[in-house]
Amino acid sequence: MSPVLKVENLRKEFRARGGLLKSSPPHVAVHDVSFEVEQGQTLALVGESGSGKSTVALMALGLLQPTSGRVLFQGRSLISIRWRERLALRRNIQVVFQDPYGSLNARMTVRETLTEGMIIHGIGASATDRDARARELLADVNMPAEALDRYPHEFSGGQRQRVAIARALSVEPTFMVLDEPTSALDVSVQSQVLNLLRKLQREHGLSFLFITHNLAVVEYMADFVCVMKEGRIVERGNVEKIFDAPAHEYTRRLLRSIPSTDPDARRLDSRIARSWS
Amino acid sequence: MIEPVLDVRDLRTYLKTPRGTAWAVDGVSFTLASGKTRALVGESGCGKSMVALSIVQLLPEPAGFVDSGQVLLEGNDLLDLTWNEMRAHRGRDLAMIFQEPMTSLNPVFTIGNQVAEAVAAHGGSKSHARRRALELLERVGIEAPERVHGQYPHELSGGMRQRAMIAMALANRPKVLIADEPTTALDVTVQAQILALIREIQDEMGMAVLLITHDLGVVAEMADDVSVMYAGHVVESGPVRAIFHHPQHPYTRDLLESLPSRQSRGRDLAVIEGVVPGATDWPTGCRYASRCRFRVDACEASGPPMIARDAAEVRCIRVDAIAQSEATR
Repeated sequence: MSPVLKVENLRKEFRARGGLLKSSPPHVAVHDVSFEVEQGQTLALVGESGSGKSTVALMALGLLQPTSGRVLFQGRSLISIRWRERLALRRNIQVVFQDPYGSLNARMTVRETLTEGMIIHGIGASATDRDARARELLADVNMPAEALDRYPHEFSGGQRQRVAIARALSVEPTFMVLDEPTSALDVSVQSQVLNLLRKLQREHGLSFLFITHNLAVVEYMADFVCVMKEGRIVERGNVEKIFDAPAHEYTRRLLRSIPSTDPDARRLDSRIARSWS
Repeated sequence: MIEPVLDVRDLRTYLKTPRGTAWAVDGVSFTLASGKTRALVGESGCGKSMVALSIVQLLPEPAGFVDSGQVLLEGNDLLDLTWNEMRAHRGRDLAMIFQEPMTSLNPVFTIGNQVAEAVAAHGGSKSHARRRALELLERVGIEAPERVHGQYPHELSGGMRQRAMIAMALANRPKVLIADEPTTALDVTVQAQILALIREIQDEMGMAVLLITHDLGVVAEMADDVSVMYAGHVVESGPVRAIFHHPQHPYTRDLLESLPSRQSRGRDLAVIEGVVPGATDWPTGCRYASRCRFRVDACEASGPPMIARDAAEVRCIRVDAIAQSEATR
């Protein structure tokens, strides 16, 4: 089986802001990152703030140019592709961001939000057609059809995130980047969103690049895991291997840091208080 | 029984909003013993932070008011105190740390300055305050206290800023530390360090900790006792093991089942349908009834009282029926 997305030796440098005459070495946010996402699978990119995981996500989306390395989507490079083809490719790659408050246009109704992509990509023969599709999408994400004429501010965080997912689905993508999609949500709402994502993956054969710092979510959702630290992948493997037999010291430290949800199996002790300060 | 250091009784706090009076805290009671940790846990909007702000009397002005109830600190009702009397308690007997240390620290003063100020606020000379500030910074695991003493908040990482906040809170060896989502903004490895630090200092000083969080993992790691809040009420309260191993209130059950884990892989997680009712217009009956899978008509007739069951207290009239149906299943 060939991978849907293949990332090869990605590197991203950011020029540090220097003075007039000073030149400082660039900051390397991502060093030599490679991975593949298989059809219908979920690859989790795990790391703490500053690990470079979101920078990788932006490059995988084609929204940020790598300093070197390639992103291949279905075998074709996102960077060297022509604009015309790029539009078609874009349709296949969609994204859901962390903040459902910032990622929806406050001045657009849900109807406009859901049909905009369809218009751009020529989906649906008429406005009535697109409208019907928008209704189906809302049903897919367990939202009532009445939501169509409402604005983002009228919804809760979980509802907004479902609208953001419906928008991503509106252009029938095959691949989705999920950048901390449940981090801003309460746990009872997080479970709705995770259930929804799994259902969509089952029904549409979607592939996910799931960016998160939440290891419980990774253990529940992911097939394959890459652990990032300081711009590098320090460990990779299928989810069982990472959680049951972590090889890298940093992965072990991450796993030891997760609070246990069983009061009889507490993990944090006072050795931790000083060990990594 | 040991006298609790903090005893909150039937606290009711409201906020004046454009949509009417919102009863954010609506009859909350709990006790906190020296050296122990009680977690107030619940989802956004349940009123847990308003409980904390009511205790330290730092409710948002001018909208927030404590309507009734008692907040007894070693038997004295803080709600009877004047503003100035309360100021003397705050920071001395009662200290608080918040989620985002960047917004609680003053950006234009150095860390050392701010910790020393916290020390000096309750007496002592300037040189004593400086010495004590250095000691405190060291105590909270800041490696180079001399250097950090002269740094500004923006020069520190989130974890270091939270350590500095804890140093300030500890300045006068408070009897009660209120920690409102102290690690929510931090990375998981840093969270582990901060939680372990709080526990270590608690053991050393014997202070009581009121831990306010939405994170059930943090609760299981840290708490001795737990009060689960929903819609301005405590719906279940008891020792941490009872809450996690034998949750009785339907909301507590649903919340625990909604957590993703290895065991739930490949299965749907529990979801809680519907939304929390609005605080300006709480329903007469059980506030969870509209979302509850065990609901019967009687649930909506009148507000359920807290019922003692096993080691816990549960605000649910169906608690025995649910336990029975589970035993026979």
